[in-house]
Amino acid sequence: MASIVETCDLTHRYGSNLALDHLNLTIPEGAIFGFIGPNGAGKTTTMRILTTLLLPTSGEARVAGVSVTREPRVVRRLVGFMPDFFGVYDNMKSWEYLDFFGRSYGIPAQQRRRLIGELLDLVDLGHKRDEPVMSLSRGMKQRLSLARAMMHDPRLLILDEPASGLDPRARIELRELLRELRAMGKTIMISSHILSELAEMCTHIGIIERGKLLAAGEVQEILRTMRPHRIIEIRVVSGAARAEELLRTHPDVLELRREGARASTEAEAEPLDDETGPHTLLVDFAGDEHALGDLLALLIAGGVRISHFAEQSSDLEDIFLHVTKGIV
Amino acid sequence: MLELNPILVKDLRSRMRGARAYILLTIYLLILAGVTLLLYAAISGDVGNDLNAGRRIGQTLFFTIATVALIEVCLITPVLTSGSIAGEKERQTYDLLVASLLTPWQIVWGKLVSALAFASLLIVAIVPMMSLSFLFGGVGLTEVLIAIAGLFVTAVLYATIGLFWSAMLQSSLGATGFAIGTVIVLLLGIPFVIVIASLILGSSALSNLLDSVWFIYLSRFVAALHPFIALGTTASHLSSGGNPFFEIVRTGTANVIVPSPWVLFTILALIFSAVLLAASVRLVQPAPSGADRRKRP
Repeated sequence: MASIVETCDLTHRYGSNLALDHLNLTIPEGAIFGFIGPNGAGKTTTMRILTTLLLPTSGEARVAGVSVTREPRVVRRLVGFMPDFFGVYDNMKSWEYLDFFGRSYGIPAQQRRRLIGELLDLVDLGHKRDEPVMSLSRGMKQRLSLARAMMHDPRLLILDEPASGLDPRARIELRELLRELRAMGKTIMISSHILSELAEMCTHIGIIERGKLLAAGEVQEILRTMRPHRIIEIRVVSGAARAEELLRTHPDVLELRREGARASTEAEAEPLDDETGPHTLLVDFAGDEHALGDLLALLIAGGVRISHFAEQSSDLEDIFLHVTKGIV
Repeated sequence: MLELNPILVKDLRSRMRGARAYILLTIYLLILAGVTLLLYAAISGDVGNDLNAGRRIGQTLFFTIATVALIEVCLITPVLTSGSIAGEKERQTYDLLVASLLTPWQIVWGKLVSALAFASLLIVAIVPMMSLSFLFGGVGLTEVLIAIAGLFVTAVLYATIGLFWSAMLQSSLGATGFAIGTVIVLLLGIPFVIVIASLILGSSALSNLLDSVWFIYLSRFVAALHPFIALGTTASHLSSGGNPFFEIVRTGTANVIVPSPWVLFTILALIFSAVLLAASVRLVQPAPSGADRRKRP
């Protein structure tokens, strides 16, 4: 897949503060790229450089092969930017807001009129066409802002914290809208603190901290790479002591914990009593699907009665905490 | 089809929508009309009944209206522009403009023209009132045209002062304060310099300096930086039958031809406006490396 964003040793300093430290980032065309990092990690700085609002101290950034420093006007045609705030004009109607930005991108009047109608319908604001922008709800303003960023039909949409401050319904609507935009062939770079949402909609992610890219790639690949083993949750109705015995001696079991216990200290204490059960055991398991089936068969054959046996899904939040642990 | 500057269209829409613009225009004209009426009431009894009475009323009314209009233009135009670019920064729309295909020149020019369009409305609105003086006589078309041109050039200069501070600073309040401060310094500072210089030169043994050509040009140059002095001296020159475009200054040794003060003021004001405009365009750029105005990690 061709890449639409490429940065090479991208560095930016605010005085003595190093905001970006030799960032090498690639975003494939057509991806929804989630840009994750704690506050002050360098997400907004990267986005501002890619939108030509900020010149890097050193290094290079390209959008669709075009340098953001050498040909900023060409880059502006390729990029639609939605900042983490919504700039409001007094006394302006929704259609006038889009019309103004359409003019600013040099879109001819006739095409502009058609586009305004289409985009307002796309973001489900067709009925608010003549309403003052100030009267729209926050979710509506975000959608109008997205329509504004789409006015010049950019190939890359850069959205900085688009879901911040939105209620759950508005978030779901925004997520659906982004999926629709991806289906239209747009590449979307999005930063957010709501990691569960990013995991649901993103095809790729990049994790940044203190201006350094810690991990980047396809979501599934990152999940697989960052967590080579899986966590199995087993709820034992009876035979808990026997289950622990079998699990401790199993070659694919890396660690065994009782739910609510801290690491192995309590696991090595008294054997579990079925009278106080049922008990839940958490197993760090290194084997594949077959080995997992064998483990279940072994436990059942060993007389252990199980009411729940399932893999805990590791999510972006786990990966984020795992990758950024101890650095902030 | 050639499209109008997007900033101009947006700002004109915003400015003329709602009651604010009309209230400002009404207050502006009420002040002018009130002053004119009071003045007429005050002087109509004192001018006597001779043939020149109407002429004196006409001249007084004209100069009063022009002076009040000039004061209002000096105070209103910098305020019209001082909030323009700083306001975009406050509304957080500045980045959206800079990240669009608008050039810094289009942004600055659009802001200036939209403010000047409103200033022109204020200037044109006084023409009917100024024309009252024609009823009394004593004022010719030349005086009226020079007064209108002087008002317009003053509006351009003071609008660019406001625009410069607006591009330079982050808040409208700060930009307005600096713009008005600059106007006050110019309006009070130049007469102060002239008075001090006259006192020094008048009491020294350098009186032959006053007749030198370079001093004549320098003194005209300084006086022409001030719209009230430039337009006031032009009016007095015209009322004594002088040429509207130049005057002849007689020294002990020769006659020196100098441009009329309003011509010099127009030239200087347009040069300063161009410089301020260029500086504003330069300021409306994405922040240079390592010097972003808002430190956003």
